[in-house]
Amino acid sequence: MRLAIIDTGDLLKVVWTSIVAGIGVTAAFGLAILGAGRAMDYGREGRPIEALAYGTLGVAATATVVGSLVFGVLGLIDS
Amino acid sequence: MESDVIVVIVVATALAFDFTNGFHDTANVVATSISTRAMAPRLAVGYAAVLNFVGAFISLEVAATVARDVVDPGAITLIAVFAGLVGAIAWNLTTWYFGLPSSSSHALIGGLVGAVLVAEGPDAIFFESGILGKVMIPALLAPTLAFLVGGAAILVLYRIVGNLRPARVTRGFRGGQIVSGGLLALAHGTNDAQKTMGVITLALIANGTVSGNSVEVPDWVVVSAATAIALGTYVGGWRIIKTMGSRIHKMDSAQGFAAQGAGSAVILASTQVGFPLSTTHTISGAVIGSGAAKRLSAVRWGVAGNIIAAWVVTLPAAAGIGALTYGITRLFGTGAVGPVVVSALILSGATLLVVRRAQQGPPVSTAADA
Repeated sequence: MRLAIIDTGDLLKVVWTSIVAGIGVTAAFGLAILGAGRAMDYGREGRPIEALAYGTLGVAATATVVGSLVFGVLGLIDS
Repeated sequence: MESDVIVVIVVATALAFDFTNGFHDTANVVATSISTRAMAPRLAVGYAAVLNFVGAFISLEVAATVARDVVDPGAITLIAVFAGLVGAIAWNLTTWYFGLPSSSSHALIGGLVGAVLVAEGPDAIFFESGILGKVMIPALLAPTLAFLVGGAAILVLYRIVGNLRPARVTRGFRGGQIVSGGLLALAHGTNDAQKTMGVITLALIANGTVSGNSVEVPDWVVVSAATAIALGTYVGGWRIIKTMGSRIHKMDSAQGFAAQGAGSAVILASTQVGFPLSTTHTISGAVIGSGAAKRLSAVRWGVAGNIIAAWVVTLPAAAGIGALTYGITRLFGTGAVGPVVVSALILSGATLLVVRRAQQGPPVSTAADA
């Protein structure tokens, strides 16, 4: 009965948003570092296909981080 | 005319509280970036001050919660708002003097509730839907969530970059901390400055300047609250820089990034739904989580225990001081004399504490030391 006075919808929103943003964006940034690092290593070793694959991963992960930040701040402004 | 004088005193007191909030919390916002050497101290402090200012303009959900959902805006008086603010400031000064990791936000809510309880009775306080549902439960949830998210994030990061060269990883995450540290400052400004906006709006409602039905926060309130917290952050930073280095727990740049990311995520998510939570406790939870996930013994659990103790004590203690302040102020009637006398008393007390603290050396610790 007491749960009725607590906005569980808002609480759950905070929980899932925090988990997705806190872990997801952090992991995406880690993948960006991994992609950039490995792409440089394979590039130096003359393995262009692997370098391209990791470079693509790095760019996609960076785009995910930037997109998430812009989406999050715009969401706050609109709320 | 006399009520206008009280409004001016209340607004000045609220902005002073906002300034001390920024001053007090600078360490929590910039400590991680500085300790991992992601940013030079001077740059980190200036950057945090600017983003605290910008953050205050992003949302008004928390301001609306403080002005509308904690106490009944239709029943509140200017003297009660004033007494609540003084209760919060007095508690903040006391905990600062003794070096206790207290939350300015909980002090503000506690002071307000105590003063309104004595002034208008329990019917003027929204205990269940407001205090419990929008303050107490989020206050418990946020640091716990930040702890878990910070811990999980660092474990995921170590898994992803564990096989890379350490120098490259450090360089990458130091770059990332420029973004995550900025986001944390933005989140801090967004949630904390809005509490002051909410209290000033409450005073304007009590004075009849703003309608209690729609709870519109005037633009000048937003700008002045943003300026006060940014100035407090900047001024507080110079004090922090002097003591930085020896007191902050050593963490690597990946941990710093994970802690800042987790703290920002929880604060911004809570801000979006209007929860006025303690940014200090949330950031501390994320810092402790990212440390504990790597190695349990790396965390100063004594400091963590102090944070929990301060969490339990702050609300009732600030409420008690708020109630007492209301009683003292009302001894002088309902005019401007009471607020003027009490303002002079709190100013004298603050000066005395600052002088004594300066003579005895810096206070013990901040929450971010964890």
